[in-house]
Amino acid sequence: MSVILTAQKVNFKNILYYPDIEINTGQCTFFSGKSGAGKSTLLKLFNGTLSPTEGTILYNGKSIEDMDTVALRREVLLVSQSLYLFDISISENFREYYAYRNLTMPEACEIQKYLSICCADFPLETLCSSMSGGERQRIYTAIYLSFMPRVLMLDEPTSALDRQTGFSFMENITSYCKKTGITLLIISHDTALTEQFAERKIIIMQRR
Amino acid sequence: MQGIVKLNLFQFSTIYLLLFVVIAIMKKTGINQTKLLLIASFRMTVQLVLAGLILTYIFQNENPVFTAVYILIMIAFSIHRVLAKHPDLNNRFKAAIALSIAGAGIAVIFFFVGVVIQMDLLNPQYAIPISGMLIGNSMTGITLALNTFTHSLKVERNKIESLLNLGVAPSKILLPFVNQAIETALLPTMNSMLGMGIISLPGMMTGQILSGTLPLTAILYQIAIMIAICTTVCMTVFSSLYFGYKTLYTKKNQIIL
Repeated sequence: MSVILTAQKVNFKNILYYPDIEINTGQCTFFSGKSGAGKSTLLKLFNGTLSPTEGTILYNGKSIEDMDTVALRREVLLVSQSLYLFDISISENFREYYAYRNLTMPEACEIQKYLSICCADFPLETLCSSMSGGERQRIYTAIYLSFMPRVLMLDEPTSALDRQTGFSFMENITSYCKKTGITLLIISHDTALTEQFAERKIIIMQRR
Repeated sequence: MQGIVKLNLFQFSTIYLLLFVVIAIMKKTGINQTKLLLIASFRMTVQLVLAGLILTYIFQNENPVFTAVYILIMIAFSIHRVLAKHPDLNNRFKAAIALSIAGAGIAVIFFFVGVVIQMDLLNPQYAIPISGMLIGNSMTGITLALNTFTHSLKVERNKIESLLNLGVAPSKILLPFVNQAIETALLPTMNSMLGMGIISLPGMMTGQILSGTLPLTAILYQIAIMIAICTTVCMTVFSSLYFGYKTLYTKKNQIIL
């Protein structure tokens, strides 16, 4: 199995020190660890929105320092916890996000497909401003998933979901990514979900 | 028309009586700003007396160097006032603001005095009051623009982060915030142009009429100064933010707020 992402001797601001990590292509990797251990920071280091103080991040064997980071982020897509949706309908949100990427929005049935994977089967004209936190989180994830990246990184994707919905969401998204060859990185505190869906588990700990 | 009545000290000091009205209203409504009112009135008096004395000296001893120094001090003070209100900006952003205030201000002052009025560029009678109006307004404009810009960057942090993660170039993410701030900064100037002559007789025109200038001459000056103000504000705000926002992201497309 080939390696898609590598972290070598990475440290961030001399506060967060990471073990050497290799992420296999097409695999579903779960990250766990205490709050403040640097899990979210690690994902931001992977997509180049932060730079390591020391060490190297490799994507497909090449250091991301030498890459066009905008192009990298389109392939290594991070769905962060600080989600943002425009105060308009679901389909208009797709249109806005696609416009930012200079792409035409997908057909309604395509949008429905991604919403359905993310357990967000709402009518496309539903206003996002009237939705709950968990619903917004799923729609946000569906929008990002629809861009079909090479690597999809989800930061606490089920934090606002009830157990049953969280389980269905995870089941759908892991099987879809498996089918389409998307490498999936997930940060989760939920040990049951981790046990059920992780092909590989990495615990991030900091030396104190 | 006749020249303006020269105020003697007694006549002049009667105006301060009006401040008692303000103090009385403040007391009645429980506004606890009497001290500020007194300090502000005192500071204004001292600053204007000093300005009056300096200007009298400059007008009596006409020398372009004095005019240039006076204008530069005005520019330096306005830059200081703007930057003091935004200490969090990085140094390159601050430099962009300082150069924009100075550059746009000086360019329009010279155009106004040299091309429109066709006097010596550093003729104190024209260059100093016109500089004061232009620089003062551009200071207000850029302060408003920076307030809008920094506030919306704070409020829209999640949006910025989301778009960055999606692989959108930082310039594309930040430019709408720049444009919105420029618009906000220009609106007051344009609104005051709309109401001018009907709702308000502006300060410069009133001053000229009081000192005996024919109203038709006064309005020409007023129209000219309004267009000059609008242009200076627009140039200052545009150049500050356009060059400033580029200091908010790195070559690695990381946004530093």
